[in-house]
Amino acid sequence: MKLAVFNGSPRGKTSNTTVLLDNFLNGYMTNYGNSYELGYLANEKEAEKNIELFKEADRVLIAFPLYFDSMPANVKTFIESLEPLCLRSGNPGIGFIIQSGFPESDHSRYVESYLEKLAKRLGCKYSGTVIRGAFETIRVPFLIDNVFHKIFIAAGKITNMGRVGHFFNTKKLYKKIYRLGMTFGKTGEFDRKIVQQLAKPEKLSRFGSCLFRFVGKHLYWNILLKRNNAYDKRFDTPYADQ
Amino acid sequence: MKIIVLNGNPDNKNIKFDNYLTELANDLQKKNHGTKIFTLRDMNINHCVGCFGCFVKTPGECVFKDDSAEICRSVVNADFVLFSSPIMMGFTSALLKKANEKLLPIFHPYFEFLNDETRHIKRYKKYPPIGLLLENNERTDKEDVFIISEIYRREAMNFKSSFSFTRFTNDPITELAHEISRI
Repeated sequence: MKLAVFNGSPRGKTSNTTVLLDNFLNGYMTNYGNSYELGYLANEKEAEKNIELFKEADRVLIAFPLYFDSMPANVKTFIESLEPLCLRSGNPGIGFIIQSGFPESDHSRYVESYLEKLAKRLGCKYSGTVIRGAFETIRVPFLIDNVFHKIFIAAGKITNMGRVGHFFNTKKLYKKIYRLGMTFGKTGEFDRKIVQQLAKPEKLSRFGSCLFRFVGKHLYWNILLKRNNAYDKRFDTPYADQ
Repeated sequence: MKIIVLNGNPDNKNIKFDNYLTELANDLQKKNHGTKIFTLRDMNINHCVGCFGCFVKTPGECVFKDDSAEICRSVVNADFVLFSSPIMMGFTSALLKKANEKLLPIFHPYFEFLNDETRHIKRYKKYPPIGLLLENNERTDKEDVFIISEIYRREAMNFKSSFSFTRFTNDPITELAHEISRI
């Protein structure tokens, strides 16, 4: 299979989307005879090349982070550049991967409807959309040096408390994405069971939400704010007209 | 009432779209509503690169200086914001989306659980209600409009305000001006 993979993250090569795709593609490449080409949609200089990659592929995979409830602007720019290819015969099959910072998959369901319609509009066979929330949390373990925080995260891994503890178990998460890539490499389709597992939780429980907010505030934002000497300015309102 | 119009028309040859907005603004001015149109394609706006600098380095402001600061200031002090764009490949333009993403500084990094969903908390006390103005093309169908509207309804949830309407550039201008002035 000749796969064209588009990394739609505005953060480019140093993005969470890259981490996700690395694991997926490692799995994909275990199938003999598979190959892929990678395009970065944030790089405007590659716009022409990316259209060519799309045209020549058997299958296309577009992965992006959720920005303001839909695809980042650079992904939309790419989609607009595909307009002349709508309903062209020989268009590749197409699948999508969305990862969001918000923990619930629910946030990504609206743009999922758009993507399904987009496949129809292009005349591409739709392979589906993989959704994974709380992907920004993969950065949390690298920030932690406090003993209490370490214990908190270890407890989260073991107990999966409030259905959000598993956010820190990146090894397990990456293995799942690897297996998703492996089956995709064999069948050209996303394994429905893995897709379902990755999409959990669709919604958070009240308890899960408390934990997620705690982690977000104390183990991520506050650590970054303090490192940047910006903690005291965190509630600033520079644009309020008074 | 202070009204902000974000013109997401990327094509300066599409005069019809721009004219509609100009006439709408004139109509609103006549009703004593200060109206400002931001023609996004003529502005210097970078893409949001997701660095979160506006959350954790210079809270409330983008670390990359460009014309989006002016939009942020206008939006947080407005009484109504109209997002407008021709429909392109079943959604609003990449240009409008680019400007939308640069509104991130007006929100706060911390989360809250609102209507059973995780959301960012407010940075400002109040955000304006929003509306959506679209230009149809021959490929637009009801499903497209539904999908776009649902996503902008969520934009109003980000604003913690309300979603007023989805209207089209073939609707009479006076009707739309009337509807906005009632908000």
